[in-house]
Amino acid sequence: MTQPHRLATGGHVDRATRLSFSFDGRRYEGHAGDTLASALLANGVRLVGRSFKYHRPRGIFSAGVEEPNALVELREGARREPNTRATVAELFDGLSATSQNRRGSLAFDWMAVNGLLSPWLGAGFYYKTFMWPAAFWERVYEPMIRKAAGLGRASRLPDPDHYDAAHAHCDVLVVGAGAAGLAAARAAGATGARVILMEQDFMLGGDLLNEPGLEAWRRETVAALAAMPEVTLMPRSTVFGFYDQGVLGAVERLADHLAEPPPHTPRQRYWTIRAKEVVLATGAHERLIAFPGNDRPGVMLAGAARTYARRYGVRAGETAALFATHDGAYDAAFAIAEAGARIAAIIDPRSDSAAMQRAREAGFSVKAGSVVSGTMGGNALRGIAIGAQGSGARGDAVPVDLLMVAGGWNPAVHLASMSGAALAWDEALHTFVPGTPVQRERSAGACRGVNGIGAAAADGAAAGRDAAIAAGFAAGPDNTLPDTLAADHCSYPVWEVKGRGKAFVDLQDDVTTNDIRLAHREGFSHIEHAKRYTTHAMGTDQGKTGGIVGAAVLAEARGEPVAKVGLPRFRPYTAPIAWGAMAGQEVGKHFQPVRRTSLHAVHDAAGAVWMDAGIWKRPAYYPKREDADAWASVLREARAVRQRVGICDVSTLGKIAVEGPDAATFLDRVYANTFSTLPVGRARYGLMLREDGIVFDDGTTSRIGPERFFVTTTTAQAGPVMQHLEFHLASAWPDLDVSLASVTDQWAAVAIAGPKAREVVAGMVEGIDLSNDAFPFMAVADCIAAGVPARLFRISFSGELAYEVAMPAGHAAHVWRAAMQVGATHGIEPYGMEALGLLRIEKGHVAGSELNGQTTAHDLGLGRMLKKKGDFIGRVLAQRPGMTDPSRPRLVGLRSVDPRRQIRAGAHLLVDGRDQGWITSATQSVVDPGWIGLGMLREGEARIGSTILAANPLMGEEVPVRVVSPHGYDPENRLVRA
Amino acid sequence: MSAPEATHPLAAVATPGLRGAAGVAPLRVSLPVRETVQVMVRRGREEAFAAAMEASFGMAPPAPGHTLAGGAVTAIWIQPGGFMLTGAGPGLAERAALAFVGLAAVEDQSHGRTTITVSGPAARAVLARGCRLDLHTRAFGPGRAAMTQIAHIGCLLHQVDDAPSFELTVFSTLAEPFFHWLVEAGSGDGVVIA
Repeated sequence: MTQPHRLATGGHVDRATRLSFSFDGRRYEGHAGDTLASALLANGVRLVGRSFKYHRPRGIFSAGVEEPNALVELREGARREPNTRATVAELFDGLSATSQNRRGSLAFDWMAVNGLLSPWLGAGFYYKTFMWPAAFWERVYEPMIRKAAGLGRASRLPDPDHYDAAHAHCDVLVVGAGAAGLAAARAAGATGARVILMEQDFMLGGDLLNEPGLEAWRRETVAALAAMPEVTLMPRSTVFGFYDQGVLGAVERLADHLAEPPPHTPRQRYWTIRAKEVVLATGAHERLIAFPGNDRPGVMLAGAARTYARRYGVRAGETAALFATHDGAYDAAFAIAEAGARIAAIIDPRSDSAAMQRAREAGFSVKAGSVVSGTMGGNALRGIAIGAQGSGARGDAVPVDLLMVAGGWNPAVHLASMSGAALAWDEALHTFVPGTPVQRERSAGACRGVNGIGAAAADGAAAGRDAAIAAGFAAGPDNTLPDTLAADHCSYPVWEVKGRGKAFVDLQDDVTTNDIRLAHREGFSHIEHAKRYTTHAMGTDQGKTGGIVGAAVLAEARGEPVAKVGLPRFRPYTAPIAWGAMAGQEVGKHFQPVRRTSLHAVHDAAGAVWMDAGIWKRPAYYPKREDADAWASVLREARAVRQRVGICDVSTLGKIAVEGPDAATFLDRVYANTFSTLPVGRARYGLMLREDGIVFDDGTTSRIGPERFFVTTTTAQAGPVMQHLEFHLASAWPDLDVSLASVTDQWAAVAIAGPKAREVVAGMVEGIDLSNDAFPFMAVADCIAAGVPARLFRISFSGELAYEVAMPAGHAAHVWRAAMQVGATHGIEPYGMEALGLLRIEKGHVAGSELNGQTTAHDLGLGRMLKKKGDFIGRVLAQRPGMTDPSRPRLVGLRSVDPRRQIRAGAHLLVDGRDQGWITSATQSVVDPGWIGLGMLREGEARIGSTILAANPLMGEEVPVRVVSPHGYDPENRLVRA
Repeated sequence: MSAPEATHPLAAVATPGLRGAAGVAPLRVSLPVRETVQVMVRRGREEAFAAAMEASFGMAPPAPGHTLAGGAVTAIWIQPGGFMLTGAGPGLAERAALAFVGLAAVEDQSHGRTTITVSGPAARAVLARGCRLDLHTRAFGPGRAAMTQIAHIGCLLHQVDDAPSFELTVFSTLAEPFFHWLVEAGSGDGVVIA
């Protein structure tokens, strides 16, 4: 017979649907509507895990997210997920789960020997014991501890599922779909407001699912909400954080209840919610009581035992006892009795109450003024000891296999606390409730200490209506609310029952009452310190059941009230969230957008090897079959430019159209050199400084018309320069009549460089006299290139005779092909970033490695560009003594003394053993074969001609280099003007 | 040599057909052939500009966050004193430059911007997977426009009709990752590319 503990009727499981699953390799059967935990209990499986540190046997403790014990590895292979709470894992056919943190079998874990060593394994044990020798920590101690402690194993395979993100907006967000949340959503929805109701469970109803008498109201309410067009119901959605400005985060589990997601369905979706008003109806978690042996399998929260009986139709034990501290807990005894269990005893520290009397009338044995003082059993509970409250005596033993514990309610204040609201101590409930809201939020129901379904529903309805009104809506019609007799949920505060044996305040992290006292004795008396010293209230459950109990034990040790000790600060996440959901679509090559020039396909067809330049893809080089290696390709491309002609895609440079009557004035202010004197039809190299005088960017700017300029920036700084210009135009000089437009994407551009460049350009461009007199170096003109309207610039980065052709991006491939066709007779070759870099290093042009955010114009040998007359950004601060210090490192050229010995960017420059600078860029020369570079060197000009050392300790290299002028190639610029 | 047809930035990837699930109400995606012209009004010339707009394109400049359509050309507000004119070509940039001499800077962005139209009942939900704007009928609607980021990519979004249809205009060099995101985001409902 399967499922021996399943009731014949009742609850929200579909007994007609049988689901097969396995736990630790054994096959079981459950039903649709089960969680893994309820299905295990139905099959009589009580031992589900081993504890974190002592490897003590543990059973299912709760029926929800607060579960500290029943953490399992769910699924297998790439989908294996550790630390999954069996109490919220929705059962599906074929589910496979494995227990965690055991050596050997679950029933006989030899690491349980740790329990015997426990006098030495208390709080702070690691810090005190594994101190010496320090070198052992990383290689010996930490791996050993990680092996012994720790929880499940993550799959090391790539996640086969995909994840998604989405944004939601609403007038009222209701978090939690218990009685309060359903009533709130309905009241808010009735006003016509846009409402989102999020519930982490796969069923809406919360505690209503344990109330057969209120099932009609639940169904009617859910149906009414589903019919409201502006109400969105989202089960399986955990709101994990409440951030500033009404922003909340949530994860919706779209496919966790399936063996694997259907095609085109993400496993989970990460929601960012912007809500005008928020109603928190997150309920409460039941509180444990710290008595010796309170962790034995068979000890369970009373509300959980009731949920297993009423919602899942599962009898969690055959002979049960209830340890109650308030009247609200007594329904658990009736529920488990109705499920067929025998009630051996009800233990209550109070002398008498209405519920105690009803229990006596029902024939239950009620032990007033008593507490549970200990438990017996091994892998399962066999009995409990009942002692008189406050006596410290162990008392009589009673055989039971289920102990239901009701220490009171811990309102789920996490989201309210994250929203900024302080927590307030409630003297009647002996717990913390949300204080005055800071944001537009309100708590309703059990999460603010309003217990009982009827009271919570009324509280929720009022909160929902208030929230909608606050969002600007008129109140709608009232709805019928469930009418129930409210039991008194004010608990008698029993935090701890002192006695021999371990009494846990945190089951998941194996933190005992004695650990808390030890933390206090050793000076970790602040709640935040005690938390970190003991690991109390950490892990997947974050102390939802016992956090406040630990605080109370600490309070007693400090001799202060719990209200003064407080709780550790709540931070996101309220419940564990998968990393996959946070990453969303941005994984692998989609980590960030990839930017492609309009010539991407052309380069691909030419076999380009790609490199990343920021988010751009740019060709590094174009290998040919005969090239021995990458350097052979790069040197071949560079030689083509120096000896014949090459073509290069320079579309990634930033391009900004600057236009208006004040455009020249504006450029004079943002550039360190002058542009107002630039004639129409000419380009000029410009240097831009930051406010602090450091070089920001460089590039050529052309005057297209009296009031029109075409500014180019480096690839890397295109965005920042645009921001810089917009910022100053908007803030510093709103009087200037200038407009800016980013035309980076409108214009593609190719550089055609080399002694034969003019012939190639002449063969494809119409409308321009290309003679040196008519179109000299730095000339600019509109033209027709290969039949396409284009703009021709005579500018050079390589040091050769060179042109850049800019054309509307959609025509770039056509122009490139035309250039290749015309250039074929001249031996044209495409060249990539590596050759481009080589050529500019040979020529001594600075680029990103030199414009590194630390260098001044003077450092780069560009000091003479700074205009003497007129102000410009960076002028004043560039004159600070530290910026003009003559001993600052200056740009120099470097050449390896032995041409075969490689020098590398990043190497330090040593003069007589002293660090005097570094290499910024390095390459091989094609003009004078050997390794060359640029560097920043103190007293650089004075050291030209000397030999120093380039040291790269990471590579174990020390290479003698000669300091030379950075402008080694054609220093008179004859070639570019040829 | 004569000017050839321009290559569309999405020519290689946006081939017609269905992507993702064969849903009952798939997202419809098309690539309208457009000219796009950025217009930035000179300081103090707003009234003269409005008159020129009326005379040449038959409409007033749209209010912030809005679009206006005059015949075959739609004007979209993009920034204070800044508009994007879109319409079927050819020659929209030249028309605008002539119309606004001395009144506004005119930059042809036809190649620099790529417009994707998405349409159908799934459009709002699909866009919500990357767009943080509230596109609900109470907050947005036909004739509304916004500059925003979708899937980390700058995007000019405006609603065309109640289908609902939206036009999404992005930098051309980022059109391909944007398109990839759109197809992924819509795959659950299915994406039909015209």
